[in-house]
Amino acid sequence: MGRTLLIVDDSPIARKILIRCLPPDETFRILEAGNGEIALKVYQAERPDITFMDLTMPVVDGFQSIVDIRRFDPEAVIIVATADIQTKTLFRVLDAGALMVLKKPMSREAVKDALEKAEEALKDSERRR
Amino acid sequence: MSRQPEPIFTANERDILQEVMNIGFGKASADLAEVIDIYVVLSVPEVALLDASELAGYIGGEIRDFERISVVEQSFMGRFQGVALLIFPSEAGRKLISILGQEDEQTALHSVALLERETLMEVGNILIGACVGKLAELLDDQIAYSPPRVLVEDDPRETVTRDMFNPDSTAIVMRTLFSFENENISGYLFLITRNESIAWMVSALHSFMERYE
Repeated sequence: MGRTLLIVDDSPIARKILIRCLPPDETFRILEAGNGEIALKVYQAERPDITFMDLTMPVVDGFQSIVDIRRFDPEAVIIVATADIQTKTLFRVLDAGALMVLKKPMSREAVKDALEKAEEALKDSERRR
Repeated sequence: MSRQPEPIFTANERDILQEVMNIGFGKASADLAEVIDIYVVLSVPEVALLDASELAGYIGGEIRDFERISVVEQSFMGRFQGVALLIFPSEAGRKLISILGQEDEQTALHSVALLERETLMEVGNILIGACVGKLAELLDDQIAYSPPRVLVEDDPRETVTRDMFNPDSTAIVMRTLFSFENENISGYLFLITRNESIAWMVSALHSFMERYE
């Protein structure tokens, strides 16, 4: 079994698209959450390797969820997957500790590149431990 | 025993449209943020399927907190066709003039009312054009637009759909609530598609998802 991914998005379609964009030659364990509140609970219970995070969500949005997850695990690797492509949004999520931003609609190539960056971040984190 | 009519949209198709709308408004807010120094706070878009006769009540209910309103109305024509309504409380026009920094240079030449209309029209043009354009691009369509027009109304419920739709038809309403951070301005964008677009749209939504098969 490969890495465990947590996909956080209120849209079931957006979650489905992301899953379909994952590299077909790799195996992942997939966890899903529909908002930031559920995401934190799943994260605490399952400790996924990589989290894909939407921003505009009900209950607890992605901005807050990044903060909550990074407070629980400062080494959390979070990739923001969003349609909100304003420059200020990019700065806000990177300041909050996200690794990078993946723009919607996403492509398989962009998801593959994001996973490679996440893999590097995970290895760096493992070396530091 | 009577048969229930087939739903025009399945829940899955509605979810796809909601996600496409989300991407469309994300593009619109980024375009606006590029033109003026403003940060657009987005909400989760909603999709509703209504009889045209219910439209005025639905939109009136959504904007019931606005006492007077300014509306930018723009029609779009393609296989995806309908009308976009960008609705602000009426004081938003004046606030936007100040954000755009137009008040000093141009107020002497224009009346404030005219400047407000021009400012609303410009903001509407950017938000509606970018959002509808992105939706059309994602659904593989090409769109032409009518010139936008600004309406100012005392009664929000009077605004909508006087002659826009055949009352017997069905409309898909896509709604996004947004606000401009630190400016105390919020508004709604409604995209209302005509009956004639629905069959095409269902097929286009499936084609969109097929790219990810």
